[in-house]
Amino acid sequence: MEDIKAYIESGILELYVLGDVTPEEKLQVEAMAAKHPAIKAELGEIERSMEAYAEHNAVEPPDGLRGRVLNSILTNFGDDRTFEKYDDAKDNVIALPAAKQNNFYKYAFAACLALLIASGIALMNLYNKLLESKSQIAVLQTNNQHFANQVSFIEKDLGVLRDTSYKFLKLNATPKAPAGTAVSIAWSKQKQKVWVDLATLKMPVNDQAHQYQLWAIVAGKPVDLGVFDSGADSTGMKEMKTIAAIKTDAFAVTLEPRGGSINPTMDQMMVIGKF
Amino acid sequence: MLALRNREKIAIEALYDMYSSSLYGIISRIITDIPTAEDVLQETFVKIWHSFSSYSTEKGRLFTWMANIARNLAIDKIRSKDFKNQNKNQEIENNVTFIDEQRNTVYKPELMGIKELVATLKPEQKSILDLVYFKGYTHVEAADELGVPLGTIKTRLRMALMVLRKHFN
Repeated sequence: MEDIKAYIESGILELYVLGDVTPEEKLQVEAMAAKHPAIKAELGEIERSMEAYAEHNAVEPPDGLRGRVLNSILTNFGDDRTFEKYDDAKDNVIALPAAKQNNFYKYAFAACLALLIASGIALMNLYNKLLESKSQIAVLQTNNQHFANQVSFIEKDLGVLRDTSYKFLKLNATPKAPAGTAVSIAWSKQKQKVWVDLATLKMPVNDQAHQYQLWAIVAGKPVDLGVFDSGADSTGMKEMKTIAAIKTDAFAVTLEPRGGSINPTMDQMMVIGKF
Repeated sequence: MLALRNREKIAIEALYDMYSSSLYGIISRIITDIPTAEDVLQETFVKIWHSFSSYSTEKGRLFTWMANIARNLAIDKIRSKDFKNQNKNQEIENNVTFIDEQRNTVYKPELMGIKELVATLKPEQKSILDLVYFKGYTHVEAADELGVPLGTIKTRLRMALMVLRKHFN
């Protein structure tokens, strides 16, 4: 009991109430207070005295402070409750900086659109050129075909000319035909072929209803060798029907109805030639 | 108390109305600069609010706990560098009387007869009480300031408290 009294009178309890003790002392005082009701009571007395002294020395804070303090606490409530005496609220509304207008996408979009249009136009041009090229190719192909045909004709012609088995014969005009009328033919006995040279043909132009017909005179009888036309644009050589006879007296051309006749119309004989 | 623990608005309002003047009395004697003292009072209540869970009735009276928070915050503030710079030229020791002259101390009805109290406190008792209670001196610093041994400080402090106790009872 004496110890407790001494402890109380040491002044440590006052310092404890003032918070002016080390952490160890603090724990010690709290332990003592828990153990001895007298110390606890003494502490209570000191606290009450100090509280009263503080009240005695109280200073009323300015009116505006109440609202400020309470609102600064309420801000942490995270709700919208406010105190009435909030008269010194600071204007703490800061305008957010306006978002910088970003024109990049606008321009990018415009650029894309322009590019698209340009591409479209380019494509159209290209397509037109492609069509043009195609038609040109078609023309060229036709030409090519034409030339190829011509080449093959000429090859045949050349083949006839080169072939030494061919004999060439000029059929001259009869008195009925206009002067200068002539037909050149080539004949190969071995190949049994007869060609009419249309390039050097000198015959009056036949009408649509008639054609010239080539005949071979074999043992006094005419043998049909096919028909041909005479025009301003006649070119190359035309192969006629095969001729079986080895011995031929003469060749003659008559003007016959289109398609030819079985027997020659003798009074329409234009040219005749003999070997 | 329960309301305070449940963090109700009404609790902190009541707490402010009951104790703000007592706490401000402590703070404003430590810090003479009025705007700073007001800031510290605000900080005190914010801290009370946030750390209320660490207070327990077993450790003592609520006011003691709050007063210590207020005193510590005020002392921290006055010892912080910028505050020191700001108040270089002011002598802290002279401020208690200065403040008392400047402001109207609130006399509550239950505290009538305070003049006798001041009279009953011996000057050396009052000075030690004011140093440790209102200026945030530790008892070691107070002993230094007054040029008396530590034991004497403790005794005087205790005597002063005894007088207060007798008076208020």
